[in-house]
Amino acid sequence: MTNQNEEFKPKGTLLILAIFVVTLILLWGSVYMILLSRGVTL
Amino acid sequence: MTEKLSMHIDAYEKNWIRASIVLLIVFVIAISVAGFSFGIQVPTVEQRVDPNTIATDPNSPWSEPGLRELSPGEYEAYILAQTWQFLPNKMTVPVGSKVTFYITSKDVQHGFKLQDTNLNVQVVPGQVSKLAVTFDEPGDYFYICTEYCGAAHAVMFGTLHVEP
Repeated sequence: MTNQNEEFKPKGTLLILAIFVVTLILLWGSVYMILLSRGVTL
Repeated sequence: MTEKLSMHIDAYEKNWIRASIVLLIVFVIAISVAGFSFGIQVPTVEQRVDPNTIATDPNSPWSEPGLRELSPGEYEAYILAQTWQFLPNKMTVPVGSKVTFYITSKDVQHGFKLQDTNLNVQVVPGQVSKLAVTFDEPGDYFYICTEYCGAAHAVMFGTLHVEP
């Protein structure tokens, strides 16, 4: 039973996690690019 | 009899910890690049003033709020926030101008966001918020109050017109 647990690969969870992380990176990256494109505030 | 103590961390958990550390490093780099390479700063307290006399003291620039032209293409904007309007609520500058904003409030806490720019500050009575923006594109830039300040908060806005 223990061996079975160690070999278990939660592929579905990892896929959802990967989609979530990639979406966050794209959204955050686009906002960061908008911030940089709007220029200095000094 | 000795027993060796060891902590077991699941492989997925290890990867998640590594990803969290990488994320922190990325954030530090991103903030450093924006702040030090691109000059994008958060506002600091420029100076402290007395909100009770700011609008009436003849030595206060906010007794006559508005634009001052320092040199061609360089302006200072002294903006006074009060319930429920900005003074002035209309300004015009030529394209390419750099405007340094000095914003304060004479009554309650307000916000000042100039749309489509990085200018977004809290306007606190007794404090002056200072940030600068260079306007490279002509058009109308609305500034709005972003801090709920009472019944007519929703109509507290102004327009900065950048003419070609």
